[in-house]
Amino acid sequence: MLNRFIDCIVTLICWSWFIFGFIFFFSWAYAAAVLFSKNTERSFQRLNSLFFQIFFRIVRLTSPSHSIEIDEDVAAIGSAVIVSNHLSYLDPLLLIALFPRHRTIVKTRFFTSFVFGWIIRKSGYLPASSEGRFSSLMIKQMDSMESYLKEGGNLFVFPEGTRSRDGKIGSLNKGALKIARLSKAPIYALQIDNTDTLFTPGKFFFNTRIKNQITVKLIDSLHPEYDHNPPSTSQLEDWVHMAFAKSLK
Amino acid sequence: MTRDELQDKIITILTEDFEFEQPGLDDNLRDDHNFDSIDAIELLGKIELILGVSLSREEKEKAMTIRTINDIVDYIETIENSRNK
Repeated sequence: MLNRFIDCIVTLICWSWFIFGFIFFFSWAYAAAVLFSKNTERSFQRLNSLFFQIFFRIVRLTSPSHSIEIDEDVAAIGSAVIVSNHLSYLDPLLLIALFPRHRTIVKTRFFTSFVFGWIIRKSGYLPASSEGRFSSLMIKQMDSMESYLKEGGNLFVFPEGTRSRDGKIGSLNKGALKIARLSKAPIYALQIDNTDTLFTPGKFFFNTRIKNQITVKLIDSLHPEYDHNPPSTSQLEDWVHMAFAKSLK
Repeated sequence: MTRDELQDKIITILTEDFEFEQPGLDDNLRDDHNFDSIDAIELLGKIELILGVSLSREEKEKAMTIRTINDIVDYIETIENSRNK
């Protein structure tokens, strides 16, 4: 009973950051970025990253039995398309915290929400679908994708789309690989582990009392010769499947 | 370029670059060949090379409603005609 109570309190504290952290600290910074920043997209991405870095500090303070270990190689990734397995809602937040310069693909319906939709549009994120009014946004983001990646930005994507319930890699959405091919960017495959132990899919409360280490590891990277021997999307998909299969052994 | 030549060129691109297998002129590109918006954007880049022009944002947006190879050829012809006016 006491454990359940602790889980409840910690969860409320962590999620409270989303509301009160945004209202009291970050809303002003986002407004300032719109008004004064020369590169609004870059400023928004940095603010998003900082927002979630603080979130994970709160998580670590309130749930000391959980630790987070990130490979040095992972933190050094730049100018790349990053594909990762997906276990928990915490995964995208973790990668946003990790990469101050990031874009990602987000479910289209989120773009219609009032505040969140505005932030992700300003952050340069891409809608998962380009139907109707989202075609303009997709074209805008794709027009700048090659230069964005060349200037050090990362695009991270969970090619399985939804969270895996069994830890195995499902069928892959090829969108990220097509973007890598189109932008002539290297591809990095990451393995995230144990975020689902802290925040299990289908559960509302964080599981705060178990000893757990969340890790983000670099499984493999691919640097295709796009100019001389460009790979097909299927070849890139095969490589990602092999990389993930290797990591699951 | 005639319509037939344009058609052949598009089919070659779809076969070689997008891994289409025996595409039909009226196949629904999305349903039959998993052709998505990112493919459409890549194809637009190749259409720019064929036409030797840069497409405007508006012209690109119009392309997002394309469903068949015949639509692609119509689209290119429309762009060509509007540029030659």
